[in-house]
Amino acid sequence: MTTSSASPKKTARKTAPRKRSASAKRTAAKKSPAVKPVSVLIVGAGFAGLGMAIRLKQAGIEDFAILERSNAVGGTWRDNQYPGAACDIPSNLYSYSFAPNPNWSRSFSGSEEILGYIHHLVAEFKLESHIRFQKNVEDLSFDEKKGVWTATTDKGEKFAGRAAVMAQGPLSNCSFPAITGIEDFKGHKIHSARWDHDYDFAGKKVAVIGTGASGIQIIPELVKQAKHLKVFQRTPGWVMPRPDFATPQWNKKLFEKLPASQQAMRNLLYWTHESMALAVIWNSPLTRVAERVARLHLRRQVKDRWLRRQLTPDFTIGCKRVLVSNDYYPALQKDNAKLITWPIARLSEKGIRTVEGIEHQVDCIVFATGFDVSHSGTPFPVKGRKGRVLGDEWQGGAQAYKSINVSGYPNLYMTFGPNSGPGHNSALVYMESQLDYAVKGVQKILQEDLKVLDVKEDVQRKHNKTMQKRLAKTNWNSGCKSWYLTEDGFNATMYPGFATQYAAQMADFEENDYETA
Amino acid sequence: MASIDLDKMLAKIKSTQWALSDIDWDAPGAELITEEQWPKLKDFMADLMWIEHVGARAFAAMAKKAPTDTLREIYTYFHAEEQRHANAEMALMKRWGMLEGDEIPEPNINLRLVIEWLDRYSDEMPVYVLGTVVPMLEIALDGALCTFLLETVKDPVCHQAFEKINDDESRHLGVGFSVMEMQGRGKTFIGATKMLAPLLDPRLMLGIASYVPLLNKMRDNIITMGLPEERLYAAMAKFEKIGGRTEDGRRNPWFQVIRQHAKFVVDRNNRAYHMPVDGMVKLTGLIPRRALPAVPSWVKELTYQPTA
Ligand SMILES: Cc1cc2nc3c(=O)[nH]c(=O)nc-3n(C[C@H](O)[C@H](O)[C@H](O)COP(=O)(O)OP(=O)(O)OC[C@H]3O[C@@H](n4cnc5c(N)ncnc54)[C@H](O)[C@@H]3O)c2cc1C
Ligand SMILES: [Fe+2]
Ligand SMILES: [Fe+2]
Repeated sequence: MTTSSASPKKTARKTAPRKRSASAKRTAAKKSPAVKPVSVLIVGAGFAGLGMAIRLKQAGIEDFAILERSNAVGGTWRDNQYPGAACDIPSNLYSYSFAPNPNWSRSFSGSEEILGYIHHLVAEFKLESHIRFQKNVEDLSFDEKKGVWTATTDKGEKFAGRAAVMAQGPLSNCSFPAITGIEDFKGHKIHSARWDHDYDFAGKKVAVIGTGASGIQIIPELVKQAKHLKVFQRTPGWVMPRPDFATPQWNKKLFEKLPASQQAMRNLLYWTHESMALAVIWNSPLTRVAERVARLHLRRQVKDRWLRRQLTPDFTIGCKRVLVSNDYYPALQKDNAKLITWPIARLSEKGIRTVEGIEHQVDCIVFATGFDVSHSGTPFPVKGRKGRVLGDEWQGGAQAYKSINVSGYPNLYMTFGPNSGPGHNSALVYMESQLDYAVKGVQKILQEDLKVLDVKEDVQRKHNKTMQKRLAKTNWNSGCKSWYLTEDGFNATMYPGFATQYAAQMADFEENDYETA
Repeated sequence: MASIDLDKMLAKIKSTQWALSDIDWDAPGAELITEEQWPKLKDFMADLMWIEHVGARAFAAMAKKAPTDTLREIYTYFHAEEQRHANAEMALMKRWGMLEGDEIPEPNINLRLVIEWLDRYSDEMPVYVLGTVVPMLEIALDGALCTFLLETVKDPVCHQAFEKINDDESRHLGVGFSVMEMQGRGKTFIGATKMLAPLLDPRLMLGIASYVPLLNKMRDNIITMGLPEERLYAAMAKFEKIGGRTEDGRRNPWFQVIRQHAKFVVDRNNRAYHMPVDGMVKLTGLIPRRALPAVPSWVKELTYQPTA
């Protein structure tokens, strides 16, 4: 039996519709023998794909298409609409510097507001006409002779581009965890990233499995709605207080009238988060300070010694994602809530059986169990030069050059590629440097009319050697299991350094690193 | 006997889970408890379920200190399994009409002291201290108390429950002895002097001071119930035999300490040991309930109800 899986599983099973009609495929193939390639083909209309589009436009490149499997933009923020969903990096930093929003209502905005911002980006930069909805990419192949990438969808449609950008998101696929007996459970099941807005929690007995980033946001909201809430925790995480407050009107006005003041705020937030790297990424005296802050937060909010013990992590802070919340601990102590730390033995028809022998009967189980993260594969087959298949090459763990290019796969750019993950700062800060790097590559391809712009194998190898050496010294590799690591403990996810270092790494496009044709 | 493969053991543990609702607690057979048996059985069961519960808490402490991830997870399961035993034993008590309403049996004063100690200090104890005490208690439970119970009680539901409990216990013992041997692997593991150092730790002394009278008191309860003393000797002999079956095991200084102590406990003729300890039992009996702090909240997690 594989028991409760409170963190993302390392398989890559997609939840996207997979039905494929053979006839549709045939007609599509017949009708379009040679698809006219656009300059840039982008997969995914989340923050990354849309940001890419904006930067291309700003660089004067209008000839691009975005393929999105869903029927709406927004990615993470379209999918994660559970009650309480919000960013945990301040909005002024969790937004694009090239498209500031003076109107954030709070320091940490909710999912809906972030999605609103994304819609605003689409409107403001006139991206709508570039997006092809309901195009679920199932294959991406490179034709070296033509210098063209072709994306094939589940319906057999083909789209081509001289360059391709994989912006399908690191956390966009999810499934119910493989807990024994999950198919026996007759009650209602909801995954946090596919919220069921029609389900009424009033008067219901509800279980939440998982106490990670999503779980701790859902719990304080559900405890207000449900009759009774049981929270099943496998490993407690470090929880830091969250300085969340509503933005006063004068502040919004100031940001609007004097954009420099918002930039200054962003800088301040940026450096605050950068300094956190010292505590979170490496084991330093600041790590102890951060742990102390979290412990004090726990002590202040939880009076019962045993509950405090149950909530105290036994790994170095930063080894897993640091959580931020002011209302999670209080929510667990509400009269109608209960934290359960017994391991889950199995699900049964009526609820969850834990190892202390008791069946916890519930009407509904909410799985806040994270995402299917693939460390050693690709979400769909990616085929490069001479029939190379990226997933095969990544068996032992994903590797790339500067997180964005892979040798053997020319003209292909990935956002959120291997070793680009931020542990302490906004993902969008990292994304901005990736987008600008990709624009430089695309410009070179178009300007010099290249068929192939491929990073050299040895350059990539050298880069990864340093990367893994630096990673070995970080907290992520300090011994706890997390979704950052493969089963063998290989870290293909995180960037071992400051966001500033990452930005510096991405700042120059070194032509000598590439082979051209 | 070679040490067991802990990863395989963990997989085995995960695949052999059971729940209270696997047993029909209302099945016929409860009437087989004789009137004469009932009051003694009630005390005995209360002791037993408390030992399970206290053992559960000890495993929780060991999980915190476990040297490997696998062992940590195993101990996390054992913590829950001991709780399951306590819950199942309470369910039996409920079946036999030994619980008033939803009451948890009242812990005696010696238990209260041990609970208090576990709550305050057990998490700070090195894993090898509890790692030796626990197998000793388990073998006493397994080898003496439970077999005796099953010989005395005819109720089939009781047999059904203990079949499951004993299955779990055999795994607890397997892991327990295997870990004791690991710890005895002197040079590679940890020095004997270093291992015994906690003996001088006042926190551990407090623990011993609360634990020692508990054992004596329980031994007396068991004997009142009719358990032949030889059974306890036999159990201790088993502990000695398995714990000392290898060089590594014998080299574990804690094994030596506990083994010696266990011998003292069962040997009622050893007046040098029992005079002061029985004195302590009497003394602890004088501690007013009010002097003890409130029971920690982990104690309130006990339940005889299969579903919640
Ligand atoms: C609950 C939650 C909270 C978060 N909070 C923060 C935070 O506070 N700060 C932070 O820095 N980061 C946060 N993140 C990380 C977040 O994922 C990134 O910041 C960012 O939103 C990722 O954007 P993306 O465009 O790369 O991916 P996504 O937003 O996932 O977008 C990818 C898009 O690609 C589409 N797609 C996927 N596969 C295919 C395919 N095969 N074919 C076609 N289209 C496809 C998807 O439908 C989706 O629209 C959070 C993540 C989650 C889940
Ligand atoms: Fe037990
Ligand atoms: Fe046991």
